[in-house]
Amino acid sequence: MFEIGTFLKEITETDGVSGFEGRVASRIEEAFSPLVDEKRVDNLGNLIFLKKGESKASSPPARVLFCAHMDEIGFLITKLEDEGFLRFTSLGGFDVRTLPGQEVTVYGTRPVKGIIGGKPPHLRRERDKKQGLKTENLFIDTGLSKEEVKEVIQVGSAVAIHRSYLPLLQNSAAGKALDDRAGVAVLLQCANELESVRHEADVYLVATVQEEVGVRGAVVATYGISPDVGVAVDVCHGDFPGALEHEVSKLNKGPAIVAGPNIHPGIGERLVRVAREYQLPYQHELSPGPTGTDARAMQVSLEGIPTGLVSVPLRYMHTSVELVSINDIRTAGRLLAYFARGINRSFVEELTCL
Amino acid sequence: MKELLTRLCGAFGPAGAEGPVRDMIKEETAPYSDEQAVDNLGNLVITRSGSGDKTILVAAHMDEIGLMVTYIDENGFLRFTNVGGVFTKLLTGKRVVFQNGAVGVIGQEKLKDSGELDLSKLYIDIGAASRDEARKKVNIGDMAVFYSPLGMSGENRVTAKALDNRTGCAVLVEALKKMPSEPAHRIHFVFTVQEEVGLRGARPASYHLKPDYGLGVDVTRVGDTPEPEYKLDVSLGKGPAVKIKDTSIICHPRVTSLMIQTAENNKIPYQLEVLERGGTDAGAIHLSREGIPSGVLSIPCRYIHTPAEMVDLEDLDNAVLFLLRLLEEKWE
Repeated sequence: MFEIGTFLKEITETDGVSGFEGRVASRIEEAFSPLVDEKRVDNLGNLIFLKKGESKASSPPARVLFCAHMDEIGFLITKLEDEGFLRFTSLGGFDVRTLPGQEVTVYGTRPVKGIIGGKPPHLRRERDKKQGLKTENLFIDTGLSKEEVKEVIQVGSAVAIHRSYLPLLQNSAAGKALDDRAGVAVLLQCANELESVRHEADVYLVATVQEEVGVRGAVVATYGISPDVGVAVDVCHGDFPGALEHEVSKLNKGPAIVAGPNIHPGIGERLVRVAREYQLPYQHELSPGPTGTDARAMQVSLEGIPTGLVSVPLRYMHTSVELVSINDIRTAGRLLAYFARGINRSFVEELTCL
Repeated sequence: MKELLTRLCGAFGPAGAEGPVRDMIKEETAPYSDEQAVDNLGNLVITRSGSGDKTILVAAHMDEIGLMVTYIDENGFLRFTNVGGVFTKLLTGKRVVFQNGAVGVIGQEKLKDSGELDLSKLYIDIGAASRDEARKKVNIGDMAVFYSPLGMSGENRVTAKALDNRTGCAVLVEALKKMPSEPAHRIHFVFTVQEEVGLRGARPASYHLKPDYGLGVDVTRVGDTPEPEYKLDVSLGKGPAVKIKDTSIICHPRVTSLMIQTAENNKIPYQLEVLERGGTDAGAIHLSREGIPSGVLSIPCRYIHTPAEMVDLEDLDNAVLFLLRLLEEKWE
């Protein structure tokens, strides 16, 4: 049996910013390979695993797509300053307030360690304070001489935050990239569960690329798989002091099952019913618009895919100390597996009966 | 190149009404095309069959930004909306031209303070004294573009409206003329419509043509002017740029490294571009079907989306050479 914490440590300490997911993809591939029947990498780098259903000769199996994005937010180098300082832009929306003081790895011709620096508080004027922190006023300092920098690093080199995985009490953990590597761990938990859960449907487990820059990987993955049903796994805001109750979900109280126009009611309701049936803790999350997750890309693919969304509550989103409960990840994995067990042709057909 | 660019920039072609540009390109390229087709949305597809088994889609958009008439008042003044990204603050006093040749000037109402300026405070004056007189020339829904023909600036630089992206069109046309009779791959040169309003033409073109690889050719911003808005390490005259990222695409590493390798091997000057704001056709192309690995060859351009955009002709010549060499590469 696999240890979620061990897997999370490994994949959150491996870098893979949007568009440059190769490193983390190979770790994820290693972990899933023994559990799946088929695997492939598509044109944009999505990792696609298949757990085949128990075939019934009469009709082709229903296809279920579960996906979670493996990319993390990061940076790209935009300019090498003459003195060797590096200017950068964001890949996805980092919480800028948390940037100064971070350690980073710059992927030049070789990985180079560096830090993000800015103006010290003593030298900040009233005007600076009013303006607030902006990425354009920060820089990366690698300590390399300007000649060395030019040799190793170029415009367009990818940059990832360097941060160790930190297990905390009550089976929780903090680190970077838990958005959405926690979702990838949910998929792995699901794959494990499916070893002992009989299912008719073919289950596609996909670690998508480029979610943070506009849910791009899921667009082409969905087209390529052409699923009958899709469920995205992503993170939602966890609770913290001062949060409005309706804006957050509680940690360690189970995954949130999302409802809203991005979600097919038949999928949302079935997820809730499965959670109840197996006495899995769960919460409701309402999302009144397009969700901004892979679920959005899936829903409007091809002729339209009945789509669901399961969220793992996570605190401090888009910082390097994102915090999740391992229990929620395990529960979410089970929820998906038990959900997959009930999917067959007739379920798919019923979804179109209003 | 300058002569072709002069004609292309002079042509009328706001998003959705690219006809005159398309006709010009069709005629110019007819002797060099194995096949010419116009698709349902108006994209012009010029195909050259090649020896290899790969298909490469090369896209440059024909459309330019413009203005569209929304209302004609009783005194003959035209109210308008934008077609694509125009800078409201730069409009007052500019001349615009409609497809039938009617020329107008953009006027501005009195403002309490300058922060108040938006499109509703501006109007187009085509010299008509009444609504009826105006209607004889212009109707609601008609589009206008900047009236700003190409002119030389210095030895090698030109300014004009619509260099975004007639520059890219000119590069494709010139490349087509110089291509070997049997290219290494099947090449679709696609002159797209409606890029400026959301990469709309490239989407169905890519869906239909099912290429193995996509390549956009478009202009990009520069960081070489006084106090530029973005810290962008791209300059005019230092060669075409290999795009790494903009807001529509993170270019496929396999394509960008092939591009860099090609430039290095052929000693073509090039720059690397990370554009913080802006997108291009490759953004739509790479997300079609199961994903198309795509890249972008960018032409540095100053003052984009103004009536006086500026490019360096040497960059264009290098871009043509770059494109020709690139299309002869292996693309595995």
